[in-house]
Amino acid sequence: MSGMPLLEVEDLHVTFNTASGPVHAVDGVSFTMAPGASLGVVGESGSGKSVTARALLRLFAITDDARISGSVHFDGADLLRIDERRLRHVRGGQIGMIFQDPLTSLNPLMTVGEQIAESLRLHRGMGRSEAASEAVELLGRVGIADPERRATELPNSFSGGMRQRVMISLAIACRPRLLIADEPTTALDVTVQAEILLLLDELRRSEDMALMLITHDFGVVAATCEDVQVMYAGKLVEKASMAHLFDRANHPYTEGLLRLVPRFEDAHAGRLHPIPGQPPITGGGGSSCAFAPRCAHAFDRCRDEVPPEVAVGPQHLSACWLAAERAKDGTEAGRPWKRAQ
Amino acid sequence: MQETTSTTAPSQPSRRGRLLRRLRDHQPGADRLAAGGSLRGLLLRRLRDGIIVLLLVVTVIFFLAHVVGNPALVFAPVDATDEHIAEIHRQFGLDRPVAERYWEYLVGLAQLDFGESTWQQRPAIDAVTEALPATIYLTVVGLGAAAVLGVIPGIVAGARARKPFDKASNLLSVTALSVPNFWLGLLLILLFGVQLGWLPTSGRFETASIVMPAATLGIVHGGRIFQLVRSATYEEMSKPYVTVARSKGLTEWDILRRHVVRNTGVTTATIVGWEYVRMWGGAVFAIEYVFAWPGVGLLTIDAAHRQDFFVLQASVIIAGAFVIFSNLLIDLGYQFIDRRITAS
Repeated sequence: MSGMPLLEVEDLHVTFNTASGPVHAVDGVSFTMAPGASLGVVGESGSGKSVTARALLRLFAITDDARISGSVHFDGADLLRIDERRLRHVRGGQIGMIFQDPLTSLNPLMTVGEQIAESLRLHRGMGRSEAASEAVELLGRVGIADPERRATELPNSFSGGMRQRVMISLAIACRPRLLIADEPTTALDVTVQAEILLLLDELRRSEDMALMLITHDFGVVAATCEDVQVMYAGKLVEKASMAHLFDRANHPYTEGLLRLVPRFEDAHAGRLHPIPGQPPITGGGGSSCAFAPRCAHAFDRCRDEVPPEVAVGPQHLSACWLAAERAKDGTEAGRPWKRAQ
Repeated sequence: MQETTSTTAPSQPSRRGRLLRRLRDHQPGADRLAAGGSLRGLLLRRLRDGIIVLLLVVTVIFFLAHVVGNPALVFAPVDATDEHIAEIHRQFGLDRPVAERYWEYLVGLAQLDFGESTWQQRPAIDAVTEALPATIYLTVVGLGAAAVLGVIPGIVAGARARKPFDKASNLLSVTALSVPNFWLGLLLILLFGVQLGWLPTSGRFETASIVMPAATLGIVHGGRIFQLVRSATYEEMSKPYVTVARSKGLTEWDILRRHVVRNTGVTTATIVGWEYVRMWGGAVFAIEYVFAWPGVGLLTIDAAHRQDFFVLQASVIIAGAFVIFSNLLIDLGYQFIDRRITAS
């Protein structure tokens, strides 16, 4: 990454006050994204990846009772400190967002055209009719046939994949510089998944916007992103370029996740290796490596001290006490082809 | 998505939540979609159901009255002999078998003949239609008050759950709906009628007479409307499309106004409609009695005291018909609120 970063997140913490006490969902996350970059954020449910994405835009309901600290510099301004009015300008205008479940992401009582036009009128100051025709244009761009007619329909006449296309057109309506896609394909059929990923990739290139893709599926990241970071229990545990990570996964957690990607050639052997145990419900705040209880390589130090991020290669960081050692010797998942032998 | 809801929503799938879900399942819209019928089909279906319900009401009220009461005893002097009472029975036709009288009554009803009032010596229906406008007036004003007190604060409280406004209004509404309506009425009479002398305490002799009975209805029913609207709004606010609306850069006010309220509209209409029906089912009787409001409720209670079967039956049947009619109106109202319903 060179030049001015588009997004610079530093020491981001998010805590929710719940009836059963505070939940530290994001615990000191820092990363940067260059303009036009593509970054995949991978982790299990509850690892804090979605919360991280929402925290960037302070996208929590009043009732969530979320406390956010750290800094999120986007295009020079700290999104955590600017006032509501400027923040709303960034939301939808500069940063677009797509969510996991296209079936519930759209207002069921508003035509899709209106829902897209709402954004256009808000951020691009368009009039009613201009926004309506631009909405039709956008629907066409994301591959919806007969957009003129479809724009006047309610979401319930669209299939899941089509609704996700509508969501994408809505998110890119105001030509944002960053598109955050939170598990955009999880709820979709595999074939539809591929189409949506392809569409996102095309749009990123043609619109020159950065893409942050949140997923639990390494396959999705591999298809779409150049860089990847892995989250566990509210912390980043490993960052690298995608190509690099596939070859040299360093963190034992990443290794475990990579082993979980089903491979066609392994299917007949029944070889899937689940990571034992469950992720902790309350992330962070501890004085140990959060992954230690589930880690096959854990030793005393892992249970006593939080491992720092260590550089293990060019633009490759890993938060593991064994990082240096594992970088030297290589890991099993770092060489997936070895597993077949 | 998944993780935010699991870590951040300490929401309670409480009894109220279940009630709301039931409410939603009862949405006539869904029923209609399943049946795939037209508006006329719906009207005909509702009409058929209404007639069946009315027939049940007629039957129950008829037998209940005839098993429990005996109007002859009201008319007979205290020292009346058995022959004397038998004479009165003959006079009113009470000596004939119940089944025969029931059939006769049904035949009469089919011709809109509700029988003769033993107490007022005129057709029972006249007594009821004379009292009906007063009750409609009271319940409509009362419902208006309940809707104002319940819907708007309910939406605001639901959108800002667990904030001070929510807590305060919630406490108030729980108090309001827990207080017995007649007791609240008496309290108001004592305060505004007797102590302060601002408002008339009973009857319907001046314009201001409506204020206290309608306010009582408004407070009690508004409390319940508030609870349900608050829950519905709170639940709606946690839906993904609201987060999407927020991510578009809309203000919280616009999110509420343009997205949430539109979606809770059907539920709100159902809740308010139900409260109207509930008023007819009970509160109106107690309130009319407390405030001596000359409506159907007061008439029904008087008729029961005087064992005037025909007036009693007529008022219950008319009230029942009115409830069925109101339900039908609510159903038609959905047509204009929820476009999905008409979309089929």
